[in-house]
Amino acid sequence: MTASSTIKHALLAAGVAASLVTLGATWAPAEEVTLTMAVPDWPPTRIMKKFFDEQYKPKSGNHVVLDVDFIPWPDFYTRVNASLTSGEKKYNFIVSDSQWLGAFVEGGYYRKINDLLDADPEFKKTVLSVHPAVLAAYSTYPYKSKNYYGFPQFPDVLVNFARKDVLCDATEQKSFMAKYGKKLPCTGEELDAMTWDDFRNVGEFFRRKKGEMLAGKPLDDDFYGIAYQAGKGYDFASMQINGMIWQMGGNIWDETQAPTGQAEGVVNSPVAVKALEQYLGMIEYMPPVAKTGTMDIFKTDELFREGKVAMNVDWIGLGEGTIDPKISKVADKLVVGMMPGTLVDGKLVRWSNIGGQPFVLTTWTTPLQTKEAVEFVKWWLSDDIQRQFAAAGGQSAIKSVYEDPKYVTYRPWNRAWAASLDWQKDVWHVPQFFELLTEQQDQFDLAITGEQDAKTTLDNIAKFQQNLLTEAGLIQ
Amino acid sequence: MSVTQIARTSPALLVVSPDNWRLAIAVGLLVSAPAVAALPPGTSFWVVGAMVALVAAAFVVNAWRRRYYGGLLVAPAIAVLFVMNIFPLLWSLGLSFFAYQSNLQSIRFVGLYNYTKVLTNEIAAPDNWNALVNTGMFVVLTVSAQMIVGFLLAMMFAKEFPLRRYLLILVLTPMMLSVVAAGVFFTYYYDPTFGILSYVVNSIAGGQFILMSSKAGAVAGIVFADAWMWSPFVMLLVLAGLVSVPKYLYEAAAIDRVSAWRRFWCITFPYIRGLLMLALLFRTIEAFKLADLVILLTKGGNDTMTISYQLIRIANEQNKTSEGAAISYVMLFMVIVLTNLYLYLANRRNRRVET
Repeated sequence: MTASSTIKHALLAAGVAASLVTLGATWAPAEEVTLTMAVPDWPPTRIMKKFFDEQYKPKSGNHVVLDVDFIPWPDFYTRVNASLTSGEKKYNFIVSDSQWLGAFVEGGYYRKINDLLDADPEFKKTVLSVHPAVLAAYSTYPYKSKNYYGFPQFPDVLVNFARKDVLCDATEQKSFMAKYGKKLPCTGEELDAMTWDDFRNVGEFFRRKKGEMLAGKPLDDDFYGIAYQAGKGYDFASMQINGMIWQMGGNIWDETQAPTGQAEGVVNSPVAVKALEQYLGMIEYMPPVAKTGTMDIFKTDELFREGKVAMNVDWIGLGEGTIDPKISKVADKLVVGMMPGTLVDGKLVRWSNIGGQPFVLTTWTTPLQTKEAVEFVKWWLSDDIQRQFAAAGGQSAIKSVYEDPKYVTYRPWNRAWAASLDWQKDVWHVPQFFELLTEQQDQFDLAITGEQDAKTTLDNIAKFQQNLLTEAGLIQ
Repeated sequence: MSVTQIARTSPALLVVSPDNWRLAIAVGLLVSAPAVAALPPGTSFWVVGAMVALVAAAFVVNAWRRRYYGGLLVAPAIAVLFVMNIFPLLWSLGLSFFAYQSNLQSIRFVGLYNYTKVLTNEIAAPDNWNALVNTGMFVVLTVSAQMIVGFLLAMMFAKEFPLRRYLLILVLTPMMLSVVAAGVFFTYYYDPTFGILSYVVNSIAGGQFILMSSKAGAVAGIVFADAWMWSPFVMLLVLAGLVSVPKYLYEAAAIDRVSAWRRFWCITFPYIRGLLMLALLFRTIEAFKLADLVILLTKGGNDTMTISYQLIRIANEQNKTSEGAAISYVMLFMVIVLTNLYLYLANRRNRRVET
């Protein structure tokens, strides 16, 4: 090789390098960013994806893709758990039940977002515009601390789905009044004012056999007044029982009191026993499947849609089915109120266990992805998008959205939404959540199926929790 | 000394050659031991893996040079078995001696603690024992139900009758269904409000019939569903045996006017016994792992928890990996003992028959 050709080559190489750099510089802003997300497959997440594809335009000019893995609900926890613990680092966003926070934060999977909130005042403002009860439940670990993790995807509360054709019938109204000396609740406002005693009365009043009359028509099948979750699976009894315990002034093991807060003496306090007795006392007025321990949130919903019960306390998340005439026999007969409360000093106390899910960021998300993710969350929680989400069947915990008078017109249950939010509390966020829950559900199931009484049940739960949490150092 | 004889002897320990498997093992141990001791687990895992590969390669070259072609031919199968089966087995055996949760990053050696915990701890152990007893109950009930029904079905289908072929396909369908589909189907079948079972019983006996509200009912429900799904499997095996019985034996028996009962015991049974035993073995092992139907039908309620479902909850839902490993080893031990006992009995009977 001659000297001149060496120089020529060097020049050529430099030229190529220079043009590559320029190219790189011009192309840098339009980078391709993919955010992978694990979500349960149901309308709220489908709507989110649809909105993103149709409307989202990133301010950075990057090409942002939301790659969503729709996972069926029954598999959801298993798949997310397997993905996280196997270390495949696949997802940037994960829709997570709020109770899983501790388990996956301690494992180093969920990303704390305090630094992102501090770095971006607008982001902070957006996140803090979420209703405080919802934000504490969905975002904080330890519960109610200042460590933030998640953003609402679909916030949810328990409400009372009811059939107005049956409740507002004149003859039923008259005989209820004669029997209980009280008006049978028929409108949304009257449902809101219900206590658990009223709920029990409705249960007793409407227990009818096949062939008996209901609202002036003979029944072709047995009919029941009330239903709520009483199933052994997942959290399908705890979510209802917790609310009752709080309403009557009792408590579950309170992680915000750790490490001095005890389980024994709190979990099985006399008030808590009374609350559980009240819960169990109403099972006899519910459809017979309750006695098998498989009456979960889906079963009560199905019973309600099939027209077998007059009232069903269930999550708003399942409401969309009740107004779909294709799968609901009561689609045009629906009236919704808040979940019944407990009268304390003449005032209705309405504590309830929050439902729904936040979504969280994972720790292996790159800075560039994180930047786009923050922009996406800001967009998702923006007034306009939350309003559209609510109009399409979602719920919003952003104050300016749910306080808009138009909000209650979107869906029949939205009238119960804003008033319920202040009363939401959450179950434990600690990493031992699943052990606490399975033991508690096993014990509740024994009580629901009539194997043991309320006192024994709560004593067993308290003993188990005391032992487990002491071992974990959460009780001293 | 002939060429083959030279090739038959392995090289001396310290000769560096690709077929020196003794040296490879020595190097492997010398490198692995300090690597495990000094390096972080993430790195030492790969170091040990590389050493295993080195030893395996030495064995292969050795086998090639010494012409152990038989060994070479089965080597891929053994390699797959090792990677997919034996290695995870040993790995989980190792895990069972540590305190490890898959969702937390810490690991600590605890010796036999997990075993004593799952077997004797006053809070954790009773559930396990109870689940084990339930599993035993399910094994006895489901397997006997399947064997009896499957056997009777096979006896029926061994004969020729109209529409036999179509009925056979119909009877085989449950086995081909997914367990989830069958489970959901039976949930509705047993449902007191929507189900046909309660409907029929109520209209005959009156009152409110709820099958799944007692332990006996729930167990019956699960056993029935399991038998419905798996009796056809037993039937298929037995049917294969029945078809293989030579016709002339029956003809000879007919000439001798042998009673039907004797015909069955002396001709039919010896032919199908081996297959019946096989069906029994398969179904027992499967029944020991029963979890899917329990999850779908009762979620373990009404005291129907089985050890497999208990294991799923501990290892998968609660992420207590090492505790789960300990339980599965206890289970594995039991299944091995049972299987060997069974094989011993079956062989002893065979020997008695032969002599």
